[in-house]
Amino acid sequence: MVKKVIEDIRAFLRGFGGAFKHQSTEYIEFEERELENVFALILMGSFVGIPSPPTTLVIRLMPHMVREMHVMQRRAIDMDDIFGEIAGMFDID
Amino acid sequence: MREFLIPKEDFRVVFVIGKGGVGKTTTSAALATALSKKGYKTLIVSLDPAHNLGDVFMVKLEDKPKELADNLYASELDMEKLIKSYLKHLEENLKHMYRYLTVINLEKYFEVLSFSPGIEEYATLEAIRNILLQGEEWDVIVFDTPPTGLTLRVLALPRISLIWTDKLIEIRRKILERRRMIVKIHGDQKFQVDGQEFVLPKEEEEDPVMKELKAYRSEVKFVEDVITDPKKTSVVTVMNPEMLPLYETKRAYESLKKFKVPFNMILINKVITVGREIPEIKVKLEAQRKVLEEIGKTFSGVEIVKIPMFAEEPRGLEWLEKLGGMVLEE
Repeated sequence: MVKKVIEDIRAFLRGFGGAFKHQSTEYIEFEERELENVFALILMGSFVGIPSPPTTLVIRLMPHMVREMHVMQRRAIDMDDIFGEIAGMFDID
Repeated sequence: MREFLIPKEDFRVVFVIGKGGVGKTTTSAALATALSKKGYKTLIVSLDPAHNLGDVFMVKLEDKPKELADNLYASELDMEKLIKSYLKHLEENLKHMYRYLTVINLEKYFEVLSFSPGIEEYATLEAIRNILLQGEEWDVIVFDTPPTGLTLRVLALPRISLIWTDKLIEIRRKILERRRMIVKIHGDQKFQVDGQEFVLPKEEEEDPVMKELKAYRSEVKFVEDVITDPKKTSVVTVMNPEMLPLYETKRAYESLKKFKVPFNMILINKVITVGREIPEIKVKLEAQRKVLEEIGKTFSGVEIVKIPMFAEEPRGLEWLEKLGGMVLEE
């Protein structure tokens, strides 16, 4: 019985800590995604009409850019609610 | 002999530039011939898509250097083929990596890419790089270039590419930094695409994007180092004694200075001298006098050589050697 209680408390604390952990990196994760998005956007710039870096370099980087392209696409999809995301991050309801 | 045309360290690279039709090809062929006669192992490469180097030597040339005489080798680069093979190679590479991503219709994409702005310049730069990489094989490499506009952009490319690459490296560093922070708290971050899972790279040494960026940077830096080194590279400009070529030469001079490419010599080709007065070409002679006067005033630290208009067209090795001697010797 006592064992069970201690176990529960432990699990609760772990969850509690996890939430904190998650919160602590929330901003950094957002920033990272944003940077990845920018990185991909710069490389794919010629598609949206901004000057693009050396074509050679772009083509050489492309095969390694799966993650960044994915982030960029997600970003484009979420674009209509970008303020929602920012508001959520700063705990504005 | 002119110091800047003969090898000093390892090998010498000479770019012959100028407006279309002023005699770049003949001049570079002549220079290469004269150098080879002096005992330097010389390679002359035509980068001009409108190939006529072979016409000057009166032989058919290909991408592979062909021995024309002792110490004299010549080749013509086939740009279209170069671009095609280049894109083909990349396409294979991409197809392999993106087999699970169907968002991009690769075939269509590559069709467009071969017409993408600047691809010709990049292919030219790539070709120059490949030749410079094997520079040790030769004493002198003479490049017969396409008309000024394209050449200037090609010579400026390494600089511009470096700026781009450095900026991208900077952003990439920031991304990796953030990833490391997150990993410290949550452990390795996984990423899933269509069932395939992989760990996000966080160190500079293991990130393929960073590796590619750095590899590209060092490749470009190599070209940049060679073409801005006065001990290795020199630029010879060919012009006619007319106003328009003069303006273009001035612009080339300014922009090469900006990119720190050594500009050593101006060759004024087809200078007309007449024994008696001919009223029909009086205006032309007057213009020529003006241009010659102005050249002396405009360019400092640049050697200026006049080549007269010959009674017959300088073709064939003998003629070329004679003409080349006038370029090479002081």
